[in-house]
Amino acid sequence: MLNFEIVTALLAKAARGKVLMQLSREETFITHRARPQTDIKLKLGMTKSGRMTACECTVTQRGGAYAGYGIITILYAGALLQGIYDIPAVKYDGYRVYANLPPCGAMRGHGSVDMRHAFECLVDRMARELKLDPFMVRRVNLLKPPTRTLNDLVVNSCGLDECLDKVERASGWRERIGKLPPGKGLGMACSHYVSGAAKTIHRTGEPHAVVNIKLDFDGGVTALTGAADIGQGSSTMVAIAVAETLGISLDRVRVVSADTAVTPKDNGAYSSRITFMVGNAAIDAAKHLKGILVKAAARKLEAKPEDVECGEEFRVGQARVPFADVVAAALVDEGAITLKGSFTCPDEFQGGKHRGGAVGSTMGFSYAAQVVEVSIDDATDMITVDKVWVALDCGHAINTLAVEGQIQGSVWMGMGQAMCEETRYLEGLPAHASFLEYRMPTIAESPPIEVHIVESHDPFGPFGAKEASEGALAGFPPALVNAIANAIGIDLNELPVTPDRVMDALIQRRRQARLASARKATS
Amino acid sequence: MTASLADFRIVHPTTVKDAIAARRQQPPSRFIAGGTDLIVNIRRGIIRPELLIDLSGIDELSEIRADGDGVTIGAGVTIATLASDPIIVSRYRAVAQAAEGIAGPGHRVMGTVGGNLCLDTRCIYYNQSEWWRSANSYCLKNRGDTCHVAPQGNRCHATFSGDLAPALLVFGAVIDIAGPQSQRRIPLSELYVEDGRAHLALAEDDLVVSVRVPANPPASLYEKVRARGAIDFPLAGVAVALAKSADTIGSLRIALTGTNSRPFLLTDTENFVGRFVDDKLLQEIDRLVQKQVQPMRTTLVSANYRRVAAAAVARRLVSKLSSS
Repeated sequence: MLNFEIVTALLAKAARGKVLMQLSREETFITHRARPQTDIKLKLGMTKSGRMTACECTVTQRGGAYAGYGIITILYAGALLQGIYDIPAVKYDGYRVYANLPPCGAMRGHGSVDMRHAFECLVDRMARELKLDPFMVRRVNLLKPPTRTLNDLVVNSCGLDECLDKVERASGWRERIGKLPPGKGLGMACSHYVSGAAKTIHRTGEPHAVVNIKLDFDGGVTALTGAADIGQGSSTMVAIAVAETLGISLDRVRVVSADTAVTPKDNGAYSSRITFMVGNAAIDAAKHLKGILVKAAARKLEAKPEDVECGEEFRVGQARVPFADVVAAALVDEGAITLKGSFTCPDEFQGGKHRGGAVGSTMGFSYAAQVVEVSIDDATDMITVDKVWVALDCGHAINTLAVEGQIQGSVWMGMGQAMCEETRYLEGLPAHASFLEYRMPTIAESPPIEVHIVESHDPFGPFGAKEASEGALAGFPPALVNAIANAIGIDLNELPVTPDRVMDALIQRRRQARLASARKATS
Repeated sequence: MTASLADFRIVHPTTVKDAIAARRQQPPSRFIAGGTDLIVNIRRGIIRPELLIDLSGIDELSEIRADGDGVTIGAGVTIATLASDPIIVSRYRAVAQAAEGIAGPGHRVMGTVGGNLCLDTRCIYYNQSEWWRSANSYCLKNRGDTCHVAPQGNRCHATFSGDLAPALLVFGAVIDIAGPQSQRRIPLSELYVEDGRAHLALAEDDLVVSVRVPANPPASLYEKVRARGAIDFPLAGVAVALAKSADTIGSLRIALTGTNSRPFLLTDTENFVGRFVDDKLLQEIDRLVQKQVQPMRTTLVSANYRRVAAAAVARRLVSKLSSS
């Protein structure tokens, strides 16, 4: 939670006027809640055939001077250690420590990104040591839905197997791995994310999402939602959900979003919840409306409601009534219709009873696999990402174009965090508080990102859909680091993998090789 | 904390003479051309001029002129114009590459040759907001008395980061400087001093009006090491000009930026004349660069990285030029 919205509201109340709060870029960097610095100690057990046997993990996250959302972040890191692979035994200790620095928070892929990085890198290193194919190691350990993890996370659908197949084929992995020229490499990794936290952040007993729907004499359907479209396309998703449920043309549906005077409250765009929860609430609202329209059409057609087919033309057998006439019939005596739909995650999906057990619980996990191809400059140790192949299981792509955009966006964001974005402090002062020093990738070094969509048809998602925006992020950093290992045989432990870190690792390797040969010579 | 741009007056002279006269009359003033660096520093409260003297209306500064003896580039020529000038692109490749690599497209349209040659030095402790610098008791370069990069020393280590200077230095460029009394010509290398606080050998009312490179240049290349493929200042930038004589080196100049408080020509490269370019020679060049550069902790990327990368790039460019 950021404080300046509240501060601004209180100031406006006190001033009895409008208050504008303006933040410079530097202030934005200081006050926003970035991902915490995360140190991870991870131990994995694996049989010679690649089956995971146990996992022990200690995570320390550097918070700031305030806890903020930090407890959730450290719990997420432990919870989402699970949910991809079948791990028979897990021990997790998380420490979130205060520091005399700005607070941290929930950055895309809340708490799970660094954890996933450590995990997928270690799996790769173990596979190498055991001379096993990294794809195979992932495949033999995949969870089989429907199932529950040790920490009581419910997995209802999983298309990760198909994701792995797709990126393996598309990248030409089998033909190319081990045969690339010097300085070039391929790496892969998997990741996942929740489709909305099954436990709401409020503990009021209210539903997880409410959508209102209105039908007036002109035949226009208006969906009212508190979900703010922050560029991810949530309003389009609501329109499609309503149009699809009623079988009507998309241009009949208008969405009013995030106007607190008229829209029902929404919990917000966190934990990738909007498609799953608001989408389901929109479908529910549209179904209620459909019930009324079907009854009106049945009256007009003198048929049973269960025989009526809904759409731009309502049909019973050969008989047809235009949508406008059905609307006119439905509005007789009633006038404009306003209804609402809602969605609630049942208790059984809300996680285990252990402390922090609710964190990471969801009704549907998205799954992603990706392959990254890199080149490393032999003079500067600069890393170039040549191409990324990514496949995401989003259950069902309600809006294919938006899903592709979201996947590219999350891969690209993962790339920034893997390669160049870093928050550092000099004597407690931010050294990164500008876009010159906080280095987001530019289009010049952004690679082609080939997206494949996998549809596992989740039993509870709207039309089978799951989230599509965060799941692919966490796979990029480990896929990159694994690709670097493949290219130059260096295992990097720190992110971002800036060229100076690559150079340091290479210098260290040369030093160790010299020491080893010196020892050999003297013995 | 939000700093707004401080008040200043601005005048628009149309001749070099008027520009210099304006500068003499009312310090604290500054010349401004593209403003891509200056305005940022004014906004951050690092420099507080009362008067800005806009050079963009002085036509004589914005010409590229080629004659039998070489090419004269006006200080007001924009980086974008320089990067796409046919003569520069075909004969002075290092200069075109350096220009093309500066910042982003928007900066190159606004920024000028003179501005890039006279670019202020940079440091992670200096290029910060007023709030930041004051919280850190300022620094030796600006209002403070300690260099946070090297607190024991007594000099400022802010780094010169212009890309054009090394590319011009390898051609033995000279610059014309207009002063209140007269115009003078000096080698470009003499414009720079190894002092981050005062790295330009210019009087307050001196104005760099043009830079000149001789005709019949040797083949050249420029490469900059930077975190991203665009926008960033060089962590190290290397220009090399190499003329071959039969299969050996006829002449070799190497210049660097981003590693010291000044751009500089590597000394002792004349010892390589007459030698074949082989692994041994490339190793010697690598060592020479590593010995002469002095990167300090002025950026978030380590000094050692910048040293090693500068040397490796120099080696690569020499190798490329010798085999082309």
